[in-house]
Formats: sequence, C-alpha cells, structure tokens
Amino acid sequence: MIHFRDKNLIPIWEKLQSGIELTFEDGITLYGSNDILSIGKMAHWLQREKVGDAVFFVVNQKIEPTNICVLSCKFCDFAVKKTSPEAYEMTIEEILSKLNDELMEVHITGGLHPDWEWDYYVGMVKEIKKHFPKIDVKAFTAVEIDFFSKKFKKSIEDILLELKEAGLRTLPGGGAEIFSERVRRSLFNQKIGAKRWLEIHKIAHSLGIKSNATMLYGHVETFEERVNHLLKLRDLQKETNGFLSFIPLAFQPGDTGIKMRNQFTSAIDDLRTIAISRLILNNFDHIKAYWIMLTEELAAVALNFGANDLDGTVGGERIAHDAGAITPMQLAKNKLINIINDANKIPVERDIYYRPLKLYSEKIVGKVSYINTLPFFQNLNFNNYKIFTAPPRQLGFLFKEGFIDAGIISLVDYLEKESDYRLLKYGIVGNKNVKSVILYSKVPLEQLNKKCIAVSDETSTSFRLMQAILELKQGFDLNYIREKISYRKTNLSHFDAFLTIGDDALKFMNNKPEQFKYHYDLAQLWYEWKSLPFVFAVWTVKNTLSESQCEEINQLLENSLKKFFDGKIEIEKFHLSNLKLSSGEIADYLNNLTYRIGVDEIKSINIFREIYDQLKMSNKNIMNLIERF
Amino acid sequence: MDTKDILRKAFDGERINEQECLQLLSYNDLLELGEVANEVRFRHNPYEVVTFVVDSNPNYTNVCNVDCTFCAFYRKKDDPDAYTYSIDELIKKFKESANRGITTILLQGGVNPDLPFEYYLELVEKTRKEVPEIHPHFFTTSEIIGMSEVSGLSIREVLIKLKEVGLNTIPGGGAEILSDRVRKKISKKKGPSSSWLDVMREAHLLGYKTTATMMFGHIETNEDIIIHLSSIRKLQDETKGFTAFIPWSFKPENTPLEKHIKTYSSPYRYLQIIAVSRIFLDNFPHIQASWFSEGKKIGQVALHFGADDFGGTLEEENVHAAANFINRSTKDEVIELIHGAGFDAAQRDTLYNILKVYHKKPVAQST
Ligand code: SF4
Ligand code: SF4
Repeated sequence: MIHFRDKNLIPIWEKLQSGIELTFEDGITLYGSNDILSIGKMAHWLQREKVGDAVFFVVNQKIEPTNICVLSCKFCDFAVKKTSPEAYEMTIEEILSKLNDELMEVHITGGLHPDWEWDYYVGMVKEIKKHFPKIDVKAFTAVEIDFFSKKFKKSIEDILLELKEAGLRTLPGGGAEIFSERVRRSLFNQKIGAKRWLEIHKIAHSLGIKSNATMLYGHVETFEERVNHLLKLRDLQKETNGFLSFIPLAFQPGDTGIKMRNQFTSAIDDLRTIAISRLILNNFDHIKAYWIMLTEELAAVALNFGANDLDGTVGGERIAHDAGAITPMQLAKNKLINIINDANKIPVERDIYYRPLKLYSEKIVGKVSYINTLPFFQNLNFNNYKIFTAPPRQLGFLFKEGFIDAGIISLVDYLEKESDYRLLKYGIVGNKNVKSVILYSKVPLEQLNKKCIAVSDETSTSFRLMQAILELKQGFDLNYIREKISYRKTNLSHFDAFLTIGDDALKFMNNKPEQFKYHYDLAQLWYEWKSLPFVFAVWTVKNTLSESQCEEINQLLENSLKKFFDGKIEIEKFHLSNLKLSSGEIADYLNNLTYRIGVDEIKSINIFREIYDQLKMSNKNIMNLIERF
Repeated sequence: MDTKDILRKAFDGERINEQECLQLLSYNDLLELGEVANEVRFRHNPYEVVTFVVDSNPNYTNVCNVDCTFCAFYRKKDDPDAYTYSIDELIKKFKESANRGITTILLQGGVNPDLPFEYYLELVEKTRKEVPEIHPHFFTTSEIIGMSEVSGLSIREVLIKLKEVGLNTIPGGGAEILSDRVRKKISKKKGPSSSWLDVMREAHLLGYKTTATMMFGHIETNEDIIIHLSSIRKLQDETKGFTAFIPWSFKPENTPLEKHIKTYSSPYRYLQIIAVSRIFLDNFPHIQASWFSEGKKIGQVALHFGADDFGGTLEEENVHAAANFINRSTKDEVIELIHGAGFDAAQRDTLYNILKVYHKKPVAQST
C-alpha cells in the first residue's frame, strides 16, 4: 500500500498494478512530481515482482584500448588527438596483461582511432577468448560499430558477425546519450543519432547478440526528451527482446564546460531517473545503478528505488574518472557485496547473461518464479528472510551449491541434496494433470522415437519426468536441445517436439502452436503410468534449522495457503496481463494443483527417486542433451 | 504488534513506545519507514521548505583532557599542534565571518583545564557587544561541565552567568549515545548520560534552546539507540527546550576507535535512523540532515525521509576535516542542493526564525 502525497500518481499506480504500460504523459507526470518516496515505492514494487530481492553484479574489467578519437564530442573529456601528450594506444599484449582468470566479463570501449585496422579489433577479441576462454567479451558501442562499418566498408551485419565469430558476446549500451536531435546537434553533432543507434542494436539482436542500453542525463536535455528516450528503447525491446539491462548515466561535468565542475546531478534526480526508468521500461529485466558515477552511498539507496544491478568491479574506469567521478577507481567485490547486503538485498554474482553464479547472503528463501508458487507467497511474511526468485533449474543450481536456506525447490534438485535438507509438508503437486508441463509434438507420442526435442532451459524435474516416460516407459532413443522457449518465438519449427513448463506453458494455453498438433500433459502421463500424483517441487529447509523452526515455517505456509484459498481467489491484475489469461483461468489452474505432501505424494517421490537414479546412470542421456544459449 | 500496525499507528499521529521503536529499527523496508516519517515531517512542517543556517564552526582550542576514543580532533597540551586561540583572535575571526554574511557561530572546543571561566564569559560578552550580527551558539555540555569544574560553581550557576553575558542557545554535541554501557567504552570521562541530560535540563529551565545530537555507527546496539531517543523525548516532554535532533554516523578514520570498527555505517542505516527518529521524536520540531558527515547526495535524500533542516553552511569544519573527511560548502551550494532535492530553501537563524526564502525553479523542467 502506498500513501500518495501526490495524488496525480494514483492513476499511474493503478496502471502498473494492472500491468498496463505507461505513456509519455505518465512519464512527464512522474518527472513533475516531488513525491519521490511514492515513485520509489512503485519502482521497488515492480523491481521485486521482477527479480525478488536479488541484486546482481559481475566481476569485470573495463578496457579502453585508446583515448585517441577522430571525434570531439562536447561532453567528453576522455578523448584526445593523436598529437596530444596524453594520447595512448594499447597493444593486444597490453590488453591481455590487464586480464586475469578471476574475471567473468571484459568491457571494451574506446576512442575512434583514425589508423587502426579491422584485423586489430577482431584480433583483440580472438586473443582474449584464446587466452581467457572463461571471460565473456562485451565490446564496442554502436558508435564504434558504425565507425567500423564506414571505415572498413563493411555492412553492420558483417562487422557484427565477424566480431561474433571472434567471440564477442554482447554490445555495451554506450553512445546512446539522449535520443534527441536538438541535443545531438548542440553537444555531439558528429556522433550517430537515435535512429542509427537503435538500428545497430536491432541488427545485433537479430544476430543473437544481446546488448545494453544507456541514457546520459543531467546536461541540457529536458524531461520530455528523457521520457522519449525511454519510450524508444521500450519499443525496440518489444520487437527484439534483445536488451539485457538499462543504465541511466548521470552526466559528470568535469572540465567539459557544459556545467560547472562541481554541479553534479541532484541525488533526487538520480533516484527518480532510476525509478522512472524501472517503471517505464516494463519489458526490461534489469536496471543498473552505476555506482562509479552515483557514488557508492547513493547506489546503495538506489537498490530500493528500482535498480537491481550494481554493474561490477570494473577496474579502470577512465571516461568517468577523468571527468571527476568521486568514487575510487576500483571497488573490491567485497565492497559491492557489503553495499548490497546493507540495502537488505541478496548479492548475486552473475555472468554476462545475468545467470546467477553465487549468492552472498544469509537467510535466503528460494522461490520458483512461476504463478503456481503464489498461493504460498501471496500472504507469506518471512520477516528476516530475503527472497531469491528464479526459474526451477537456476534455483536448483544455486540450491545444490548450498546458497539457499529454505524454499520451494524442483524435486530432482532436492533429491540431489536429500542428506543436507529436510522435507516440509508442502510442495507443488499435479494430481491427474498439471496444465503447465506440456510436451508439444508434431507427431503422436508413439512416433517420437529418434526425434529431436527442444527442452525449456528452465526445467530440472520436468525434463527428467519426460525422459522417464519416453525412454524408460516407451524405450525411445532421443536427442534433446536446451532452448529458451517462449510462446512468441517462431524458431521452434525445426524441432519435432518441445517441452515447455511453468508460466511459459500457461501462455501457450490460449496461443497453441499450430504446427504442434499433439500435446501431452506430463503429470497425466505419469498418472496413467503409476496411478499416482506427481510432485514437481517441494518445500525444503537446511538441516541446520531446528525442529521448531521447521514447524514454524510449516505453520506459516499452512496459514498462507488457507488465506489464499479461503473464499474467492484474488489474483492481482498484474499477473493476469503477464500470463495472458483471465482471472478465472488462473484460479482454475491453481485450484487444480495441490500443495500438500501426503502419503501418496511420498510414495510417488520414492518411485521417482529410483527412476531418477536409473536415468542418471545412463551417460547417453547427458551426451544427448546439448546446452545452447 | 505487527510492524505494519506500528507504522499505521505512527502515520495516524499516535505516539509509539520504546518497544515499538525497537521493532522499527530492525524493520528492513526502508521506503515504508520513509513514507511514515515524511508524513510526520509534514505534520510538523507543512511546507515544502527546508531550512538552513549560514554559520561557521570554528574551534577555540583542541586541547582536551577527556580522551574520547572516537575523537580525531583533540590534542594534549604539549603536542606540537596543540592550539588555543585568544579572545581577540576569535573576535577577529567572528568579525570576518560576519562580513561574509555568517549569522551563527557554532563554537566548540576541547575541554582545556587551563582556561579560566572568565575566558568563556568574556568571549560571549565580547561577541555580543563587538559582533552583534553573530548569534553565539557556543559550548557543548562537556565544556560547561569543565567550566563548572574550573570555577567551582554549580552547572546552574555557570549557565546563569553565561546567560547574563548573552548566551541563549547551546549546541547538542557530546551526547554521542546516551547509554551508559556505550559511554563507559567510548567516552568514559564524559561521565554518564545523566550528566549530558542534566546540563540540558538546567539549560532549558533557564530558557536556553538547544539541539540534541546522536553519534551512531560504532559499538552501539539498537537498544542503546532506543535509550538515547527515549531519554531526549522524555526531557523534551518536560522542558520543550530542544529545537532539533541531529543524528550523524561515526567516521572511524584516525581515531582510537578505528581498530574496533571495521566499516562505515551504511547510508541505508543513516536514512533508517533519520526516519525512525522523526517518527519516534514526535515532540521535536525539527530533524536535521547532516550532509557534512553523510555526503551531499545522502543529505538530499534524507530530506525525503523525515529531515526538514539542512543544518549549517559550515564555513570551517576542523573536527571532521581532521578525520580525512573534508566536505565544505557555501551558502549558494546549500541552496542549490535543497532546490535539487525539490524544496524551497529558507535561511533561518539559530532559533529557527526564517530570515529569507529562496524559491526553487518551477518543476517540469530539466535541471
Ligand atoms: S564520446 Fe566517444 S566518440 Fe565522442 S569524443 Fe569521446 S571517445 Fe570520441
Ligand atoms: S569529543 Fe570533545 S570531549 Fe571528547 S576528546 Fe574530543 S574534544 Fe575532547
């Protein structure tokens, strides 16, 4: 609940809760409001809906191969001309010498060098991948890509494909500045404008290269221009879904002459820009608080105003530093971890694609990010625990590493750690069917032998269940490929079948894929086979929790279930719009599941445990599963 | 009681008790706390105005015999960089300050046993006579206790004499944490918390106005903070003599406490303390954001978490400068910071009378 001081914000809040995207006018209303706490609360709400209490960071290093640039943008006090005594150029060896095995990501951007050859850039990426295969390369802003394309007379596609071939994973979001011709003409008239920037990112996305987006604010732009900037990004994201994160960058006046040296943006402008970005960019998963420019202190506060990413350890940050950023050059990983914990969030070390690698916090409750956990969580008040939300497989990975203290965990992941964890009385159970674990196939099930099946990259248990049915029961021999599966995606057509689970599966309910005429509910197949319900996930807690603590959690869960199913099921409109289902359809779905682990459920788990052990023994299955991202 | 119910109670204007306050101090939804604190703030000060005072904060001596473990400022009498200004030197400084438009001098020093009581009396008297533009906001409770010791007079007599020569406000420093458990460890010789409270009580009864401070982020627990807040709220119920509450976080560098305290108190904690104190101290007219110790950006944010005063422009700030934390500002910058936070800025005097309002630029325009 929010007590709005500024009543003009109420219609915006209503829209957000119904999952309706904000308009230009809403953006202006938000910027015109001094009710920063209400704006922050709305943004924090959306942030938590999206990622729970997670705040991501990456162990990374920034490399700027040269500061020599053919352009001279007004706000840039990084670039120099070749003849300047401050000019520098790094060799590939020098670049490699700045890297080490602890890094997960390298971020490369620099000046537009007048003489360097194309081979140098491609070679740079190749050599990094050769010497440090673990490091993901994020390199070259759209400005540099455009420059390469013109200088080396290659199409944008060719430039990007050659870089991708060499090992480039993503594009950084720089060079977007502010999408306004007016500002471009006055501050960086030689630089590419909005159209070209968006075009390059669109091409990158179409080639499977994800990217980030930025906005430089706090110079001469207006609020209208800021809001327009955000809307343009949202539009492209709708088309491509290729942006990983958005990074608002506060302008650093330094010696640029645009503002006085110490005229930094106000903290309130920083916070509301982060919050408003979170609210307008509803199709972006991650909003970054770039601590190097915000100061560590404000970045920490921003984690409650919509930001869920702190960038990384960064290393040498020349551009911002030369222009007077007041934070130290390198903040150790520990410092980031402290900042995030101080803000009551979970520090999550990630890779370039935001896959979580490690969590650094005590008292974490794992929550599968599907609507079917809502009956547990809608009314659950876990006082001092922090919630980590993820699809089952990711959650299972972290669970198996011991990062999760309690939570709802995919069955097979729990089975891997049975000796360290205790089973509670609750779980997610499909009785005679489940509706959200569906195998879509072009041919009848009986004809699937030797075929190739796409498997949702989110599943742990459902995949094993499918294997059990198709391989052990039917005796088939199959190939599997991990895929991101979404009802909007059309590139599933070259598979014979695909397995979709959770919210994605629900989205297919009213959008059945045409070519895949046959669909099979895996819980139903299990029931037909074993005459038992199937337990997809279980509530479990670390052994270190005492008997009475377990009982306390059991009680909390019982209460929230009772509250949820008591009377008419109330589902926030926000979820409806996400799932493209009516509230009645969701209620039916949730009512059809059961949430308690009884005698039959235990029996079913015991049978499945044996099957699972059998599956694990045959190496073949693992060989046949190709991981693709 | 559920924390949400406590917040609702405070939102509706009811007083919360110590136990409830303790619950708020361990509540982790910062924005919920801020929202309620902001409501309370606007109940006390209904305008979108933030006050500040144009002041300077010189120190007349750094010689001190109290040896607080958190203090990076004090020196022993024979240390090469020990200093004590003469009255004439100080008056000269004050005149310069007055010429620069400064209206308040917040003067504090070590507790220097070599200074006679007459020194203090003469200093106040001469300030009033020779620099009438300046309001003297002089001497913490530690110094007043020191005066009582050198003169053999009671606290009350010391305060009466100071009042006769023109002192009528006292800064609230030296409170640190008003919990005897903590004081024994960090400022043993300052005496128990009752000594700070007793001086303040006497002062209020004689008609002085004072502020109250709190220094947190060292070895205190939430319970200690509650004891502090509760003591000053009780005293305020009795006397109504406090104008504002000023919490600030401890900066460990260069202090003997450093080895016990590894990390800075987080900005998150600071905002939480600002909000909770605004909620709990329902009888305090103002809560002051301490931008000089927390940084300008966090100072601005604090204005949305319950603080309605931005403190002073602090032309000279030896105490913090000595801890490698130099953060100066000028009047123009302070006004700009307040405007940037979305408020009109109002210059005030030490007694919180408004002298001049500086309106912010209309919104809906980029900064
Ligand atoms: S901003 Fe980039 S393109 Fe512009 S001058 Fe600086 S380095 Fe060159
Ligand atoms: S804080 Fe004050 S009383 Fe304590 S040592 Fe420093 S100058 Fe002396």
